[in-house]
Amino acid sequence: MINKLHKLEENLISLILVSMTLLVFWEVIMRFVFNAGIHWSQEVTLYLSAWLVLLGASWGIREGAHIGVDAFVKLLPDPLHRLLSLVAIFLCLVYCTLFLYGSWVYLAKMKSVGIEMEDLPVQKWQAMSVLIIGFALLSLRFFELAWRVYTGKQLGFHLADEAKESMHLIDDTKQD
Amino acid sequence: MTTLTLFALLFVCMFIGMPIAIALGFSSMMTILLFSSDSLASISLKLFEAASEHYTLLAIPFFILSSSFLSTGGVAKRLINFAINSVGHIRGGLAMASVLACMLFAAVSGSSPATVAAIGSIVIAGMVRSGYPESFAAGVIANAGTLGILIPPSIVMLVYAAATEVSASRMFMAGFIPGIMMGSILMIAIYVVARIKGLPSQPFPGLGAWGLSLAKASGGLMLIILVLGSIYGGVASPTEAASVAAIYAYLVAVWGYRDIGPLKDTPWRKPGQSLVSSVFSNIISLPYVFVASFTNKEVRLVVKDAAKVSIMLLFIIANAMLFAHVLTTERIPHMIAESIVSHGLEAWAFLIVVNILLLIAGNFMEPTAILLIMAPILFPIATQLGIDPIHLGIIMVVNMEIGMLTPPVGLNLFVTAGITGRSIGWVIKACLPWLSLLLIFLMMITYIPQISLFLPEFFDRMNGY
Amino acid sequence: APIEIKFSHVVAENTPKGQMALKFKELVEQRLAGKVEVKVYPNSQLYGDGKELEAMLLGDVELIAPSLSKFKKYTNQLQIFDLPFLFKDIESVDRFQQSDAGQGLLKSLEPKGLVGLGYLHNGLKQLSANAPLRTPDDASGKKFRIMSSDVLSAQFEAVEAVPLKKPFSEVFTLLQTKAIDGQENTWSNIYSKKFFEVQPYITESNHGVLDYMVVTSADFWNNLPDDIRMELSKALSEAVTLGNQIAAEKASADRQLIIDSNRSELITLTDAERQQWVDAMKPVWSQFEDQIGTDLIQAAVASNQ
Ligand code: NA
Ligand code: NA
Repeated sequence: MINKLHKLEENLISLILVSMTLLVFWEVIMRFVFNAGIHWSQEVTLYLSAWLVLLGASWGIREGAHIGVDAFVKLLPDPLHRLLSLVAIFLCLVYCTLFLYGSWVYLAKMKSVGIEMEDLPVQKWQAMSVLIIGFALLSLRFFELAWRVYTGKQLGFHLADEAKESMHLIDDTKQD
Repeated sequence: MTTLTLFALLFVCMFIGMPIAIALGFSSMMTILLFSSDSLASISLKLFEAASEHYTLLAIPFFILSSSFLSTGGVAKRLINFAINSVGHIRGGLAMASVLACMLFAAVSGSSPATVAAIGSIVIAGMVRSGYPESFAAGVIANAGTLGILIPPSIVMLVYAAATEVSASRMFMAGFIPGIMMGSILMIAIYVVARIKGLPSQPFPGLGAWGLSLAKASGGLMLIILVLGSIYGGVASPTEAASVAAIYAYLVAVWGYRDIGPLKDTPWRKPGQSLVSSVFSNIISLPYVFVASFTNKEVRLVVKDAAKVSIMLLFIIANAMLFAHVLTTERIPHMIAESIVSHGLEAWAFLIVVNILLLIAGNFMEPTAILLIMAPILFPIATQLGIDPIHLGIIMVVNMEIGMLTPPVGLNLFVTAGITGRSIGWVIKACLPWLSLLLIFLMMITYIPQISLFLPEFFDRMNGY
Repeated sequence: APIEIKFSHVVAENTPKGQMALKFKELVEQRLAGKVEVKVYPNSQLYGDGKELEAMLLGDVELIAPSLSKFKKYTNQLQIFDLPFLFKDIESVDRFQQSDAGQGLLKSLEPKGLVGLGYLHNGLKQLSANAPLRTPDDASGKKFRIMSSDVLSAQFEAVEAVPLKKPFSEVFTLLQTKAIDGQENTWSNIYSKKFFEVQPYITESNHGVLDYMVVTSADFWNNLPDDIRMELSKALSEAVTLGNQIAAEKASADRQLIIDSNRSELITLTDAERQQWVDAMKPVWSQFEDQIGTDLIQAAVASNQ
């Protein structure tokens, strides 16, 4: 289930990044070649970037993309390291919960007032719903992570320096 | 009390290993809840604003996507080969060439992290391959990347010009000589280190091999011309040029060199095919390539990698803006600045204080936020003391450069960690020796106003303004 | 504890809006000492101009002064201020804003939970470009940066120009490299945003108005004790008067600074040239008549006397 969700998220995030790039590129072509503008492109690109970040934050937890300082916890014996990680995950969950609550109030207000986006006939609360979706998914990821740390499968946040896969770039060029 | 809570929470959270982004956001949120009447809803609003209202930040994902295509395809390898063939025979030559590449890129981009992202992901790997220590390579690039805001165009200078009503084009001109100077200082330092440490050099491969590597690298080299050309040729803004770079890099890697993607191992010209027919069939293959890329494993992996680094950076930036928001609403930088400047200092002492103040602020806040808060406070006092506003502006920009490299909030540190896959601590250590050069440079800029003022005054005289 | 009023705005303290906010703070703290406390946050320190209205709806800020075009999703009627060549001069704008129709517009936001308290001038808009604009034909095919507004979009399309929406952070570079040909703005904005350094020609067209509305949230305003609300209203209108006076002075001072800079040539239109622009752009009125209301447009025309 979670793996399928992860794959779905990954595809969606890649699609958002590609759409943003194409949209801005297309705007340049339209302006330079066809002497025309796309009046909604700026707003859509910016909203897409919000979706990229807020949706991507949770996906990044699983991917070990988020960087942190682990110099200190690494010096500790494993059980203590895991305990501190659990504390940190708990605080992350507090962060998510507060954001979920705040976003709910915010979007409910926007829904009741009924304001549309500047250039598109879409309700703002809908365009900003990623606040709730993103933080809900982020919470889910932290529960999963807490379980992995609790059961000893993982020591901490799987921070970027442990994720050696991004090193493939250097390994690739070293080979030949 | 508020300040203490904010910073204590931040450091505790970071030390127990929380991701930096969430440590910044969590400590800000708690401080707001404890000490201010702002609602949780407004914090959500602020985060969404941070993620969706900064158009210039889009240059970061675009340039990362572009470099991602350049480095996973063979484009980077060809560029690196060319660079090694050109300057590899000089001790430290490749590192110097990398600094030059950062300076060139800074001349098209207004942002420092974008400079590191665009150049670093290619040249760090190249330097490591030619035998440089990775920390040396990362440190050089993270530092040279800060030139993005000193060499015009510069987003930070535009903000300063708007905040103080000085001329933006004079600010741009004022950044030119300091930018070249800083680049040269870095290159000289590299040369000295290379001599002492005996960094690698390779024999010159001969003109023929050099020419061949130039031809092979031309697809990648064109990118520089394309980005520079589209900005100065009036086609695109820097952010837009970043998207053009991404599309071009995709085309070069997937359609041009064909190291990855649906056309991998498909030759440009099949045996026996006529030139005209091969050109024609390659052009009509473009729509197919584009569609097939969506399901191609390698292309998707490149996009995924770019998304990973971009999200990590943008999520930190969004939370860092929340952190800056707390500092601002609590008027912490204001109070410190006002209490210091009320002491009635001499010009030279005032400048020392300004530097210290900005360096501290640079630890925690982003350049734009710092400038918007500090410039209106410092500007009138500087004018009274007879300090040229343009000179003050350049001092501020150089301080902001240093801020990019100082923890806990240092964008260049994050980008470098992202592209090398190393920890923040490792990157900080790698940057430290070069950072001291930047500090010496700051002293020169502060006390020799002519470095900044020569060019704008020269042009003003020439134009008779 | 005293009632706290957060006044958030997105410009510098030395602008007419910034000065107005500080004057309001001064007056309130003089007259309602101990009862009301005003905190002014300039330079988008609290919220940027895309989010300040939403923050107000959430009750996190009590006073803001966005430009009138920011209200287009809140009420159609306020688009009237974007109509080209509607007002003869800034005095006409004043008369309209003080008239019953103008004051009625302040109330048009109430269904959305906002209360308009008054108008503040930025000034009349001028056209700038990288080539001289004397007649509408000169603008044909040229690309102009606009703020997000259907009316402004229609205004440029009426002279066969291309309206483009771009964020401020990009505009300077786009103008400098000539990726965009021109833009419209008030004298004070053209000066403070440094557009005059990269736009060699400025046509003194006075073709439109760029004003602000001071708004508060209905929740906050209606729950204030009557005497305090009265006193705040009075202080605000005095502060606005001062702000408008500064705006007028600044407009002519900045205009002069731009001329003195020698970086931009000022183009003044002859009556015949100006009439061509009016003829070309006026059809925009009828395009938006249904949304804005014919009566309102007539009231605005009447304020030209
Ligand atoms: Na630059
Ligand atoms: Na920093």
